Parts: sequence; C-alpha cells; structure tokens
Amino acid sequence: MMDNNSAQRLPGPQAGAVKFTMLLAGVVLLLMMVFGFVMRAAQGNLIDLDPAMFYQLLTAHGAGMVGTAGLTGAAILWYFMGRYVPLARGVFWAFLGLFLLGVVLILGAIFIGGYGGAWTFLFPLPANSGGVWGTDAAAAFLLGYVAIGVAFLLLYLEVGRKLIACYGGIGGALAWPLVMGKGTAEDAPPPAVVAAMATTIFNTIGTVVGAAVLASSLVNLYFPEFKVDALLAKNMIYFFGHVFINASIYMAVIAVYEIIPEYTGTPWKTSRVFAVAWSLVLLFVMAVYPHHLLQDTVMPAWSLAMGQIVSYLSGIPLLAVTAFSLIVYLRKANAMRWDLASALLVLGVAGWSVGSVPAIIDGMISVNKVMHNTQWVPGHFHIYLILGEVAMAFGFMMWLIGKPEHKAVGGFNWAAFSAYVLGGTGFTLMFLVSGALSVPRRWAVHAPEWVLQSQIATGFALLVIVGAAMFVLRYLLGLKHSAGR
Amino acid sequence: MKRRLRPGLAAIIMFACILGNRALEADPVLHVLVQLPMLGLCGALLAPRREWRWAQGGFAPLLAALFGIAFWMLPRSIDGAVSFPVMTLAKFLSVPLIGALLVIGWRQAHALLRGFLKAQAISMAGFMAFLFTHSPVRLCNNYLIDDQWRLGHGFLFLAIGLAMAWTIPLLTNARPRPSPRTRAKPITPVQSGVSA
Repeated sequence: MMDNNSAQRLPGPQAGAVKFTMLLAGVVLLLMMVFGFVMRAAQGNLIDLDPAMFYQLLTAHGAGMVGTAGLTGAAILWYFMGRYVPLARGVFWAFLGLFLLGVVLILGAIFIGGYGGAWTFLFPLPANSGGVWGTDAAAAFLLGYVAIGVAFLLLYLEVGRKLIACYGGIGGALAWPLVMGKGTAEDAPPPAVVAAMATTIFNTIGTVVGAAVLASSLVNLYFPEFKVDALLAKNMIYFFGHVFINASIYMAVIAVYEIIPEYTGTPWKTSRVFAVAWSLVLLFVMAVYPHHLLQDTVMPAWSLAMGQIVSYLSGIPLLAVTAFSLIVYLRKANAMRWDLASALLVLGVAGWSVGSVPAIIDGMISVNKVMHNTQWVPGHFHIYLILGEVAMAFGFMMWLIGKPEHKAVGGFNWAAFSAYVLGGTGFTLMFLVSGALSVPRRWAVHAPEWVLQSQIATGFALLVIVGAAMFVLRYLLGLKHSAGR
Repeated sequence: MKRRLRPGLAAIIMFACILGNRALEADPVLHVLVQLPMLGLCGALLAPRREWRWAQGGFAPLLAALFGIAFWMLPRSIDGAVSFPVMTLAKFLSVPLIGALLVIGWRQAHALLRGFLKAQAISMAGFMAFLFTHSPVRLCNNYLIDDQWRLGHGFLFLAIGLAMAWTIPLLTNARPRPSPRTRAKPITPVQSGVSA
C-alpha cells in the first residue's frame, strides 16, 4: 500500500502516447465509417460494388470497428489508471506496437489476400473460402487477431497486477469489502478502479478463450485433419466476441466516471450498490453470450434458457453502472457545465443505455427466431457503438485537447455534435426499422423492396461521417494548439 | 525449506526417477506430467542462490529454459526418450538443467515477465491438450491413441489447475485500503453515483 507521499511520486497518465493513440483511432474510425457508408450505398443501389469487395469491406469494417473500439477503451483505461497506480510505460508502447502489427496483418489479409469471412471468423469458414481467398490470407487474418489479443493481455497484465498490489487483491479493487459491509465508501476504490478491475478480469478471460479458438483454427487451416468441434468453436468465438466488444464500452465509461466530476465540481464515489452492480456486470457479461446462439437448436436447452434469462437480468446492473448511476450523480452534483466533451460523454451513456433495449428484445427466444438474422441486430450494436462507445471516445478526445478552457457547445462544436447525433439516430433507426421489416443482414445485394431504407440510411451515414470528421479535425487542431502552448 | 536439505531431496527425486524410469515411461501421463516436472524440480533444488550478471532481468536463462521446454513438448522428443538410450540420457541431463535455469531466471525476472510466463504456461498446457485430444493420428510410436487422449486430458487439468492456483489467491485477500492516490482537487464530499 502506498501512502500519500509515495503517491506523489507516481508518474501520472501517459498523456502523449494516449493522445497519439486516440489520433490514430479517430482516423481509423472515420475510415471505418466510410466503409460502412459505401456498403449502405451499395445496398441502396446508389453505387455498384462487387459482392466480393462488399464482403471484404464488411470484414474490414467489423474487425476495424471492434478493434478500434477496444483500442480507444484500452487507451482510456490506461490513461486514467495512470492517475492511481504507477504503470510501466513501455507496456503501452508494446501494446500499441502489437496492435498495429495486428492491423497490418488484418488489412493485408483482406485487401491483398481477399479474405472476406467476416470479423467473427466462424469455424470452419476461414478454411472453406470456395476459392475466394487462400489459406495464407486466412492465416494472416487470424494471426492479426492473435497479435491484438497478445497486446491486450499484456496491457491487462500490467494494469491487473498493479491494481491487485495497490488495492488489496482483486476483491479490494472491486470494492468487495464495501459490498460485504466491512468498509466505508471513503475507503473504497474510485469508480474508475472498480471498472478497470472488472474489465481486466472478464476481457482477459474472453481474450484467452479467443486465443484458444484462434490457435485451433490456425492449426486447422494448415492441417485440416485437426478438426475442432464446430459447436464448441462457435461458443468460444461468440464468448470472446461478446465479451471483447462489451469490454470496450465498459472501459470507455471510465472516461465518464473521471471526467464528468470536473464539470460538476462533485467527486464521483463508489457506493455499495455501484460496487455490487459492477460485480454482477463481471459475471453477466460472461454468462450472457448464449443469446447469440438461440438459433442453434443443438445447443443444450438450459444454456439457451440461461441466455434469455441473463439477457433480461444483465440490463439491470448495466443500467445501474451507466444511466441510473449518472442520473443519481448529476442530481447530487452542484451544477453541470456543458461543452463538446461533456455532451459527448453524457450522450455515450444515453446511447449505451438505449442500445441495450433492442438487445434485450432480441434476447427473447420467440423474437430471436425471426429477428436475429435481420438488420435489427446491427441496429442494436450500431447504437451501442455510434451513440455509445465511439461517442465516449470522441468525448475523451475533446477533453484531452480542451482541458484548460472548456468551450461552450456552440458554432462549430454544435454543428458537429448535431450532425453526429442526428445522423447516428437516423442511421441506427433505419437498421431497426429494416430489421422489423425482416430485411436480412450481411447481404451484399438487396431486393428492390429494401432499397429505400438503405438509401435513407446512406444519407444519415453521411451525416455521421461529417460529424465525426469535424470531431477529428477539432482534435487535430486542438493537438496542434496544445503543442504550441 | 532449509538449504542443506535441498541436495539430499534432489538426489532422492533423481534416484526415484532413474529407478522408476521404466514404469514412468510406460505411461505417457506419468512420463510427461510427473517424471519431467520431477526432473525439473531436481535442477530447481540444486540451482545456486546467487544473482548472475549474465542472467540480469532473467531473459537469458528463461529464454534458454523455454527453448528446452519447447524441445521436450514435441511428441517426437518424448518418443525418442523411450526408444533411444542417448535421448534418455539427454532427458536426465537437460531437464534438470532447464529447472535450474528457470529458477535462476525467475529470481531475477521482472514481475511483468513472471506474469507473462504464467499466462504462457497456462495457454501452452491448453494448446497441448488440444493437440493430443484432437490429433486424428498417433503422435508417438510408443503410446496408443487412448494414452494420447489421456495425456491431452492431463494437460487440460494441468491448465485448469495452474489457472486456479495462480488466480484464487488474488481473490482471497480483499480488505479495505485507502485509495493509494487521492485526487489533486478533491471537492465537496458528496456521496454520488448510485446511493447505497
């Protein structure tokens, strides 16, 4: 345990590396949005796009968005944990280097090797391309994931061991003494630490499971006689994928816990219910993944029932650590100052909370039977990302550059924010409407009856891109300005 | 354990491994998951307790040990140790050396490297489990396919056991501690977030 004197010697957040990472992430997010725009335009018959290229773009968009969401979440986690524990700086550079190596391998696999098996790399699809891509391209894609997985494990190893050492084990960092009535809120770790510890645990487990199925798939690529049980592989992949993308949002919410108090003048402390909710999140995030497999009738019935029940239950702690927590906090706060950063962070919490509703609806077996392979599901996760995680990431970026003077939301900032919210809302609503009309997802070519929805969505996608481009531009100018100061 | 007892214990283990070699080699689970770790333990017990300059940071001894372990992870090497006396001799000489190198390196390794190696050990045990349980052919001439599957399951239990052994202690020492770093500007002490 460190006393306050030794605490003063802590190096503090690794601001330069994190700013650089967020710049890279902002540019990649913009590129991925352009890929999404192109796909929706192709589905709306506004442009001609070769179906093979559509699936390559779909793969790049999926892998790129999930990866970048993870990257921004990890950067946020690393930055704010640097306030509380002394982190080894080299680890973040190793993380970033391995991550970029993974990106190069994935992009090479897709745009040189022609890999188009979607970000989910569902076994045995990587090995069964029907001649569209080669074994080496699939291997490069999987190795790219492995590099990114190792990067995350390395980062979590450093964060985890420091939190465990400084806060009295995993239980201490998760505020279990407070949960069990043995400690006080004053002694409890801050909300950011509780969130970081929980995400470190469940995303480490998720990444390890993902690494196992990746290694098995790699062996299968070159030695097809080594076959993995396809149902087991699907379970492992969806466990990994579900946990990883959720972890990116749970890491990003750390920015809300740390930054919003600067705007209200009121510290955000860990309460007992907050700590209980995070421990439940830790369990539910890992237990809820069978709701992705409700159409796999060969799954044991108990696991599908669990998928539905936990889908319902998981919404409760999720809302407790996000919307409810924020609303209760803001009610107790003295006043809230609004600028682009705080607006985006609050939007992120709102979007995340709203985005959970379509997921809970899709988690019902009777609904899932007809809705899961429609655009309803992209509607859910695009709300989670555009109006949730990515909004929080942009909010963090705006805070990074605007720290000295919080500028009011007006003029350029207001235009960017409005374009982003309007575009994001319209774009995701079109997915939900299309899903309700049974428009299938992941189809390169759409029937004439579905074209109008895609065309409207394309317009909203353009608005999202305009808003995001303005954020990135604002960030670039802000970086330049802060470098000159 | 008292230092003077270490050579004696190492000698007992070594003799047990030599005398029981036939019996241990007859079963791949005993051969790979009992005899090899015991030989490694012999080396670990005999490793000099001093800090070497060449072993700074633990990189050189740990890297050498990892290459050695990688060699003895190959089914071909295990098969050779049963079939050829030269390989048997190599096993009795090299595995204790690997154990000694692991201890020397471990003592001087950074905590981050130790954590990485623990994760690597669990994942490699899991991978060996996959290899031995999913291989459609016998990987060793000396062992039947059923033995191979048993070995695979042994590796799976090893991976689970190591994961539990290394993570459960991290859960059990929860106790209230003040935050190691207070904020630069603590503001009014209002209990916020979800109220208790």
